[in-house]
Amino acid sequence: AQVDTSDWKCESCPFEKGYRAEVDAGATHVGKDGAIRFGNATGYDDKGGYVNVDGHGRYAADGYRIDWTIEDLGLDSRVFELDGGRQGTFGFHVGYRELPYRRFDTTRTVFNPSYSDTITLPDTWQPAGLTSNMTQLSSSLRRQIIGSDRQIIDIGADWMPARDFRVFADFRRQNRDGIDITGGSSFTQAALLPRWLDYETDQIDAGVQYGTNRASVTLAYYGSFFTNQNPSLTWDTPFISAQYRMAMAPDNDFQQISLSGAYRATMWDTVVAFTLASGSGEQNEPLLPYTISTIVGASSLPISSLDAEVDTANYALTLTSRPLPNGRIKLAYRLDERDNKALQSDWTRVITDLAPFGQVEQNVPYSFERSTITLSGELVVWKDIRVSAGGERKKIKRDFQEVAEQTIDAGWGQVRWRPLAWLDLRVKGGATERDIDRYDETIAISLGQNPLMRKYYLAYRYRSYGELIASITPVDWPVSFGTTFLYADDRYNKSQLGITDSEEVRATVDLNWAISDKSSLYLVYGHDNIDALQLGSEQFRVWDWSARHDDNFDHFGAGFHWSPPEGKYKLRLDYDRSDGETSIELFSLSGGQSRLPDLTSTLDSARVEASYQWNERLDATLDLRYERFKVDDYTLVSPATIPTVLTLGAQAYDYDVWALGLGIRYRFGGGDISLAD
Amino acid sequence: EDETPSYSRKGADTCFQCHDDQTVLAVFRTKHAVPTDPNSPFGHGQLQCEACHGPGGDHAGRVRRGQERPPMVRFGSDSGTPVRQQNARCIECHLTNAGFAWHGSSHDNNTVACADCHTLHVERDPVLSTATQADVCFDCHQQKRTQSMKPYAHPLRQGKMDCSGCHNTHGNTTDRLLARATTNDTCYDCHAEYRGPYLWEHAPAAENCANCHNPHGSNYPGMLSMRAPTLCQSCHSQAGHPSLPQDERGLPTGTPSRYLLGQACLNCHDQVHGSNHPSGSKLMR
Repeated sequence: AQVDTSDWKCESCPFEKGYRAEVDAGATHVGKDGAIRFGNATGYDDKGGYVNVDGHGRYAADGYRIDWTIEDLGLDSRVFELDGGRQGTFGFHVGYRELPYRRFDTTRTVFNPSYSDTITLPDTWQPAGLTSNMTQLSSSLRRQIIGSDRQIIDIGADWMPARDFRVFADFRRQNRDGIDITGGSSFTQAALLPRWLDYETDQIDAGVQYGTNRASVTLAYYGSFFTNQNPSLTWDTPFISAQYRMAMAPDNDFQQISLSGAYRATMWDTVVAFTLASGSGEQNEPLLPYTISTIVGASSLPISSLDAEVDTANYALTLTSRPLPNGRIKLAYRLDERDNKALQSDWTRVITDLAPFGQVEQNVPYSFERSTITLSGELVVWKDIRVSAGGERKKIKRDFQEVAEQTIDAGWGQVRWRPLAWLDLRVKGGATERDIDRYDETIAISLGQNPLMRKYYLAYRYRSYGELIASITPVDWPVSFGTTFLYADDRYNKSQLGITDSEEVRATVDLNWAISDKSSLYLVYGHDNIDALQLGSEQFRVWDWSARHDDNFDHFGAGFHWSPPEGKYKLRLDYDRSDGETSIELFSLSGGQSRLPDLTSTLDSARVEASYQWNERLDATLDLRYERFKVDDYTLVSPATIPTVLTLGAQAYDYDVWALGLGIRYRFGGGDISLAD
Repeated sequence: EDETPSYSRKGADTCFQCHDDQTVLAVFRTKHAVPTDPNSPFGHGQLQCEACHGPGGDHAGRVRRGQERPPMVRFGSDSGTPVRQQNARCIECHLTNAGFAWHGSSHDNNTVACADCHTLHVERDPVLSTATQADVCFDCHQQKRTQSMKPYAHPLRQGKMDCSGCHNTHGNTTDRLLARATTNDTCYDCHAEYRGPYLWEHAPAAENCANCHNPHGSNYPGMLSMRAPTLCQSCHSQAGHPSLPQDERGLPTGTPSRYLLGQACLNCHDQVHGSNHPSGSKLMR
C-alpha cells in the first residue's frame, strides 16, 4: 500500500549546504639517493625536499554539488579530480592523473641521449665484435634513468532527461613518455637500447541507458585510438659500423558497439541478462623496408601496409532463477571471437643485414573462437548449510596453431557451513580437464619445433584443486580471524616436452583486534608457492634436460591504529615485510646437476602517521616512511659481461630510504553536523 | 488482517529523536540525502531513513518495560539482517547500474552484502576512492593482497591503482568480472600499444595476456609468470639455442650466456607482443 508521507516534513534534517574543505599542506624530505624504485608510482624519486598538497572539498546548494580532490599535488603522482552536477538530473567530472613508472637509475649506456626514433653512438665510437674489445666502452658510459610518466585526462558527463533514461559520455586521453629498454639485435649480437617512447591513447565511452524496476537496456560505444610518435627505431649498432631499424608498436584503433540489457521476472525472481558486442580493430601503419642495409639489396614489399582488420564479437546470455525458496540456478553462455582478417602475403625476410640471405615466409593472422556454457546451482540444505555445485564446458577453436580445438570441462562444488553465528566455513573443490582434438605435429615441425613439445597453453591438462576458507568473528569478543588455503595441481599428462606438472599452494591468515574504542591492531600473513617441472631436449629427441622451478613468496603485515573519538592525538603504524625467492634447479645430460643462484627480493616497509589536533580547524601532521628493498638477480650484469650483448648494466635494487613529512591540515567550513532547529 | 508493515509517524524526524549522533547524521553528507533528487531516499515523497532500514513504525512505537524494540533492517555481514534482505533494499533503487548484473554474480553467490564493501554513512566511501579501495577488496580477497605485495605488481600497494580499473565488481556477463569483454581488451585499456594487429603476431599474446603475465603480481620483472628463458622454453623447442638448457654454465663465472643473462631471449627477440616489420617474423625487429 502507498505510504502516506504527508507528515514527513524532515524538519530536523540537516541537508547539506555551503562550502567545506580540508587541505593538507606540508613538506617531505627524502633522506637518501639511489632509491628510484621508492619513487615508482609515488613520485619520491630522489633525495631532497618535496612540497606537497592534498585536499578535498565540496560546495553544495539547492541540489547542486561540486566536489574536488587533490592528491600529491607537488609530486609526479599528482591527481586532480572535479565532479559535480545536480543529482538526478546531470553530472560531470574532470580528472587529471599522473603515474610515474620508475625502473632503474643504475643503468649506463654508450648511446647518445635521444628523444626521437633514432639512437646514435658517440662520433668517436670504435665498433668491435665483442664487448670486451670495445675500447671506448668505459669512457663512453653515461648514466641513463629508465622510466616513464603516464598522464591521464578524463572528461565525462551524464544527463538524465527523464527518470528512467540516462545519457553518458566519457573521454580519456592517456599520454606516456619516457625511456624504456629495447633489445636491438643485429643477428648474433645485440645491444640493449634506451628507447624514447611517446604514446598517446584516446578513449571514448558513450551510450544511452534506459532502466525501470523490471528491465534495463544500454546501447554503448567504445573507441580506443592509439598513436605512437615513434613507430620505428633506428640505431647504430656498437658492434659494426652500421645502422639497423626495427618496427615499434603501430598506430591502431578499436571501436565497439554493444547492446546489453536485463529483465527481471517476478516468477522465481528470475533475471535474464545479455550482452551483444561487435568490435573492429584496424592497423594500417606504413611498413618499413626489409632492411636499410646498403650491403643487402632488399626486394620490394608485397604490400606497403598491412591494412589489417580484426573483428571481434562478444555475446553473452545469463539466466538466474530461484525456483525453490532455498535454491537457485544459473545458466550462462558466452562467446568471444577474434577474427583476424589480415591478408596473407609472401615476405622475403632478410635474416641478417650483413649478407643477402633471405627467406620467404607467410604472415599468419591468428583467429580464435571461445565459447563457454556454465550451469551452476545452490541449495540451502539445512538452515546453516549451503551446497553449491556447477559445471562448465568451454570450447576454443583456433586457426593456424598446433591445436585446432580444445574442450575444457570443469566441475566444482562448495559447501558453506555456519554452525554458529561466529563461525563461517567454506570448503571448495573441483577439477578441470583440458582436452584437445589432436596436437598437429606437422605445424610444429613446419615451425622447426621438436614434435614432442606441447605448448603449455595448448597442451592437454588435468587440474584439480581444493580451497578452504574460514572466518571466525566471535560476537562478544573484539577479535576477528580469517584464513584461506588453496591447493591446485596441474598435470600435463600427455606432454613429453614443455611444462609437465605444476603445483600451487596459497595460504593467508588475517587477525583483527579492536583493543578498545580507541585502538585496534591487525596482523596479516600470506604465502604463495608455485612448483613446476619442465622438460626440454637439446638433442632434438626425447627429454634430456629438466628444470624444476620453486617460486615462493611470503608477506607479513602488521598495524596499530590509535584514534580516540574525542582525543587530540591520532596515530597509525603500519609495517610490511615481503620475501620472494625463486630457485631453478636444472639437470641435463650435457651439464649434470646444476642450480642457478636464487632470485630473491626482500621488502621492509614501515610507515608512521600521526596528527595532533590544534583546534577544531587545524591539525599538525607527521608522516614518516621507511623502506628497504633488496633484490638478488643474477641476470643483471655489467655492460660488457656478455661478449655479444651490450647491456645497460642495471644493478639489482639494494636501498634503504626514509622520508619524513611534516604538515598542517586545515578545515574550512563544515564541522559537526547538527539537527536543524 | 492488514499485514502492511507500519511506517513511523513522521519519518526521519521520528528517527532523529533517538538516533542523532554524528555517525547517523553523516548520511546528510552523502548522495542518499539530496532532497532535490526524486530518486534519493530523502527526495520528495521518498521514505527517508525507512527507505533503506525498512518500516519503523513498530520499532518507534511503544514497547513494554524490558521488551526489546523490534529490529530494523541493519547493514553489514554481522548485522543480524539476512544478506539477501539487506541487498534487496539496495537493489530496489540501484537496479539498473548494479542490481541486474548482481544476480548470480560471484559476489552474490558468496553472499556478499553490499554493505560489506560500501560504507554508507560517511562522506567518502573508502571503496570508491582509488587510494583505499584495494584494502576493502583485500578483506575478502586475501590471496590477492599477498600477490599485490610481490616485487613486480601494479601499483595497488602505493594506492595509485584500484581493483575496479580491471574488474566490474557489481558483476556482469564477462569472465572474472572483467571490466571489458575479455582479458586482453581489459589490458589494452592502459596498454593499447600491444593491441596490434601486427604483421607477425605472437599467438599466445594475441589470445590472452595472462598466458605469460600474472596481473596480480609476480616475483619476476614484467609480472611474468616465469622467468625467461624458461618461460619461452615452455613453448619453443627449435633445434639450436631455444632447446638448450640454460644452467650454471651460462653465468658470469662460466661462459656468460646471452640466452640467460640480461634480458635473456628478449636481448634479441624483443618484439614478443608482435612485430610489424617485414623482416620481423622471429620477433627480432
